[in-house]
Amino acid sequence: MASVHESLYFNPMMTNGVVHANVFGIKDWVTPYKISVLALLYEMTASKITLPERRRLNKLILPLQQGPDLTLGQFLKTVEECCPQTAYAVKLRLHEMADGELKDMEYFFSTLPTPFTAFDTEAYKTSVVGLFMRHMLLAYNKLSFSQVYKLYKSLQHYYHSHYAKPMDGQVPALVADDSEMDLTSIEDTVGDRVDKEELDTPLHESELQGPLSQKQAEYFLARQAYLLKNDENKALKPAALQEELNNMLKFNPDFAEAHYLNYLNSMRVQDIFLSAHSLLHYFDRLILSGNDGKSNGDEGYGRSLRYAALNLASLHCRFGHYQQADLALQEAIRIAQESNDHVCLQHCLSWLYTLEQMKGSDSTVLTEDSVKMAAHFCLPYLASLGIQSLVQQGATQGKTAHKLMDALKDTDILHWKHSLSELIEISLAQTTSIWRMYGKSTMSLQQAQLLLNMSSLEPVNFGVQQNNTEGFAVVLCHLAELHAEQVCFRVLGCSSKQIILHLKEQFPPHTQHAKLWMLCDLKIQFERHMNEGKYHLAEPLVTAIAALNQTEGLYRKAQVLKALNRNTEAYHILQQLQARCEKAKCTEMVIRVMLSTAELHWESSGFSTALPVLLQALALARQHHLQSLASETILHLAFTQLMLGVPEQALNVLHEAIEPILAHRAVMDKGRAMLLAARCQMAVAGFKPNRQGQAAASALDTLNEAAAYFSQLNCKERLRDVHYLQAQLHRSLGQILESNKSAMLFRLLDQELQSPAPPVSMRL
Amino acid sequence: MAALCSEFGDLLQIKKQLISVISLCKERGLLHSAKWASELAFALDPLPKDELPPTSPLTEEDAQDLDALTLAKSYFDLKEYDRAAYFLKGCRSQKAYFLYMYSRYLSGEKKKDDETVDSLGPLEKGQVRNEALRELRVELSKKHTAGELDGFTLYLYGVVLRKLDLPKEAVDVFVEGIHALPLHWGAWLELSNLVTNIEMLKSLSLPDCWIKDFFMAHMYTELQMIKEALQKYQNLIEAGFSKSTYIISQIAVAYHNIRDIDQALALFNELREQDPYRIDNMDTFSNLLYVKSMKPELSYLAHNLVEIDKYRVETCCVIGNYYSLRSQHEKAALYFQRALKLNPRCLGAWTLMGHEYMEMKNTSAAIQAYRHAIEVNKRDYRAWYGLGQTYEILKMPFYCLYYYRKAHQLRPNDSRMLVALGESYEKLSQQAEAKKCYWRAYSVGDVEKMALLKLAKLHEQLNESDDAAQCYMLYIQDIFSCGSCQEQLEHAEVSTALRYLGQYYFKNKLYDEASLCAQRCCDYNDAREEGKALLRQISQVRDQIETPSADLFAPLSNNNTPVRRVSPLNLISFTP
Repeated sequence: MASVHESLYFNPMMTNGVVHANVFGIKDWVTPYKISVLALLYEMTASKITLPERRRLNKLILPLQQGPDLTLGQFLKTVEECCPQTAYAVKLRLHEMADGELKDMEYFFSTLPTPFTAFDTEAYKTSVVGLFMRHMLLAYNKLSFSQVYKLYKSLQHYYHSHYAKPMDGQVPALVADDSEMDLTSIEDTVGDRVDKEELDTPLHESELQGPLSQKQAEYFLARQAYLLKNDENKALKPAALQEELNNMLKFNPDFAEAHYLNYLNSMRVQDIFLSAHSLLHYFDRLILSGNDGKSNGDEGYGRSLRYAALNLASLHCRFGHYQQADLALQEAIRIAQESNDHVCLQHCLSWLYTLEQMKGSDSTVLTEDSVKMAAHFCLPYLASLGIQSLVQQGATQGKTAHKLMDALKDTDILHWKHSLSELIEISLAQTTSIWRMYGKSTMSLQQAQLLLNMSSLEPVNFGVQQNNTEGFAVVLCHLAELHAEQVCFRVLGCSSKQIILHLKEQFPPHTQHAKLWMLCDLKIQFERHMNEGKYHLAEPLVTAIAALNQTEGLYRKAQVLKALNRNTEAYHILQQLQARCEKAKCTEMVIRVMLSTAELHWESSGFSTALPVLLQALALARQHHLQSLASETILHLAFTQLMLGVPEQALNVLHEAIEPILAHRAVMDKGRAMLLAARCQMAVAGFKPNRQGQAAASALDTLNEAAAYFSQLNCKERLRDVHYLQAQLHRSLGQILESNKSAMLFRLLDQELQSPAPPVSMRL
Repeated sequence: MAALCSEFGDLLQIKKQLISVISLCKERGLLHSAKWASELAFALDPLPKDELPPTSPLTEEDAQDLDALTLAKSYFDLKEYDRAAYFLKGCRSQKAYFLYMYSRYLSGEKKKDDETVDSLGPLEKGQVRNEALRELRVELSKKHTAGELDGFTLYLYGVVLRKLDLPKEAVDVFVEGIHALPLHWGAWLELSNLVTNIEMLKSLSLPDCWIKDFFMAHMYTELQMIKEALQKYQNLIEAGFSKSTYIISQIAVAYHNIRDIDQALALFNELREQDPYRIDNMDTFSNLLYVKSMKPELSYLAHNLVEIDKYRVETCCVIGNYYSLRSQHEKAALYFQRALKLNPRCLGAWTLMGHEYMEMKNTSAAIQAYRHAIEVNKRDYRAWYGLGQTYEILKMPFYCLYYYRKAHQLRPNDSRMLVALGESYEKLSQQAEAKKCYWRAYSVGDVEKMALLKLAKLHEQLNESDDAAQCYMLYIQDIFSCGSCQEQLEHAEVSTALRYLGQYYFKNKLYDEASLCAQRCCDYNDAREEGKALLRQISQVRDQIETPSADLFAPLSNNNTPVRRVSPLNLISFTP
């Protein structure tokens, strides 16, 4: 034991009069729990155990060595699950020590196989077990007299707090049935403690777990940090983690890494003050340890300064303080330049373009530079991150699709080569999104499934089969929307709803990526209400959507207003939205706004004025390879032409779009397309009476199909239209019975809907 | 004032009370309270023989416990606490009970300190606690509910609660204890540690006793309400405690806190005369001497204190300051380290050590020292400021903003932090923010007189000549109003201001003012040539426009500052 007495020199790491143990390279300490583990190892080497049991025990060794101290009850239970016989032997050995005298413990340590003598056993000095035993022996041998005594006392306490009443000299473990003993004893302990400490309960919750050793603390921190990154759900709750960290810092204020975790944890709950404080604290601490380390002063110490500034920039960026982030970043860049640190500069550059992007300005040039430089300095992570960012920008700017896909494929090769699992996930999620944007739902589905079925690729995974990163959230959201479009909530027991529920579980509302599924959920609900004609239900959702995404919110508001026939207001909003989106180069939204504007023109019978708008939209959609929007536009165009009295033309145009619509679009769109086709067919047939019968029959088929789609959606308004048309057609064909049936269906729906039917012809 | 005098009128009565409380404290081993009361009693006139208060009569229980108590007290004095507690176990008198509990408490504390050295691991050391506290609390709370505790035991109960991190309960118990026994200064002091703000102080119901004034004055000092504190102390002195060294030292510390260095120095010198072997507060004194760079005095103080007791925290701090003033920073740091070895919770030493490391350009060690200071007391503005300075030296102006802001938050009216903030903003080219900081620094009373100059230069850079001239004017007025020594010190900057003003007036065709400024410029070496040149220019221009403008300029020349008149508080021009 290195104590103050031995160290005559002053050490700045000294706190409360005790020298930090790190200075002397001692990381492990003997605790009662460690003694139990040693006893277990001893028993394992000494006694004969069957092979399956030995395997199970072997599997247990590493977690037991690295994990935090368990109570005796927990420990024995885990061992018992593997091998009851060994558990019993361990218990016996502990009992010998705890109920005996100090010399029993000393004897135990002296009988342990020394790793230096045992060459052929598992305890050989370089094995995991041997290393652990050596550590323990060394630590034990360094203890001073009073410390040995204290260790013995705490061993007794450890043992007896498990067996609450080891009175009248009886050995409870040997007499009583084991399983029963476990249960009762735990209860007793708890009860006893409550009695004793009823007055000051708040103080002692933390104490129950006992202190962590340096190694255990490191393991704990690493585990939690990993979980925070990959699966926030499985990490401790923010409050619990905070408590744990406070505890750790109270015991050891010099433990810098804990401050960093504190920073991450505060970020989770969006606490800027605490996170900034912890971050700076961490780097203040780190600066010294960097200086202390093997590297020369400039390297270790200046380095952490640069990264400190960079981290501060990222912090401000996360909280949306772009100006602050910019200043911090400039500082980091300046320091990195002064000390010729290209790697750090590279990191700064990639943050710079991210920042530019977040600010909403064009950063393509910067990104390209960054990729080039990263490739030059052999930083695959940064390079492919840059490429991904470029691809994203390219996709929104309408770059050629195959080039983008090629770039993604190339980076994928890079990722697999360097096994950058994070980037693989991002890349898959990106592909899903791009396919979806292009309107290829099948491809998108396939990519999403690919990611979801991939298991974690991390070299060290703490029992996490699959990650819960942003990529997963994005993919699941797409999946939910795709399912919702196909109205799968009828067929597969609400599959889109289930996906949303799963998302809700995986990304609880307070977490970082929760906004993604919230928006997605709201959109799905909105669409459904709109389809079913329940505008009063859709309206309140608009506010919620606007809170998450302003542009989307405005668009939805315009849609609701349009549906409620408040056309002037809707028009104003759409104009405003278009200007904004054109500025932000948000093509998808621009096209959608144009379509809505065209619909508004129809309302005022301005079909000819709608045409140029639609043509413009079509050109835009084609230019950006947005197939789904293009076919939607064609649908609109066809309708306009129908209304303008050129149904043949309309039918021609429609044929172009009907295939992609049936293949990729939502059920609603399919229904609408079929309805429109039927109407065109009818209109065409109306001019040529001689072929009326044939045309009417084919129109009837189309209508039936449309009716099937609409009934799937429960879209009664459109269903009513369909029935009306059906009745007309049947009548023209002289099928009175069918005509009457359709008329009755129409009548029923009309009564149910109550709202006066708008003129059938007036909408798509 | 009159009410206060009448309160203190009966100094005789106070003296009697003090004498009785001294003996009570001594019997119970409460040494610090006894010391405080004795100091105060010493400051009052001695009592005539027949006026001395009688020793309190012994009760039956006291008589029974007398032997055990005497034995235990002697053990207690020899720091054999467990032994003392053992022999007091059965005793029933109040006095014995207090000593019994107190020795158990102290024994626990002592063991805790010993344990800390011998802990079983680095992470365990924070867990070492006074094991006796919980039991003491249980026993005391039982007695407390039964109403069997006297003033001293209530005090002990409060201390136990405070150590268990239960401040709310502790405050209640201390207040109760003070009501039971107002004269026990220890209880007041413990209470003062728990009061965090003025609202809380006002909400406490305290007994109306003369000692309350001492407490309030102490509290005001702690809460940085120096004016009120000084007023209170002044009243106390007038009421008859003029000889008390305690009050003098407190006033000196208060002056130190508001940076009234001369006053504080005078008081400390007086204190040293009255009480030459005093070590308490001498670190503050040395800080003052350091600020004034009074080398011989500091050296004398250091040598003197070493002779008295070289293993005291204060002594080490004084020596550290001494070496620091002699620019032997390694040795200074060594002595601050020694002070920290003696008492790791000594806040001042951590901060001072940070300063020393800064001087040695060992920034990382400085950061560590400052961080430790903050750990001990989060409200230590000097440590935050020091951290800011360190990062400023490392050329990280954005990074240091956070630290300066923290410091500013803690001392909102200290111009140094504001100037530092302003400088950082200036480096980040956030001129609007910088202007706000400088102006604010000037408004709260600039110590170093630099804020205005910097503000003026900033305006000059931004081509806001009117504002710049205004600031230079104010700056010059400021410098000249505070005496000749300052003038000597900062003449270079004054000349800059004069030069600028001269040019400014010249451009605005205010030749009288311009020539005045130019003449003043000639007083300074570095601006003399320019001053002369300006004078020549002025006379040339005057020759040209001599006659026609004579009556035109007459009214203007009466106006001595014809600058665009902006009220100093008009901040509109400073906001972005």
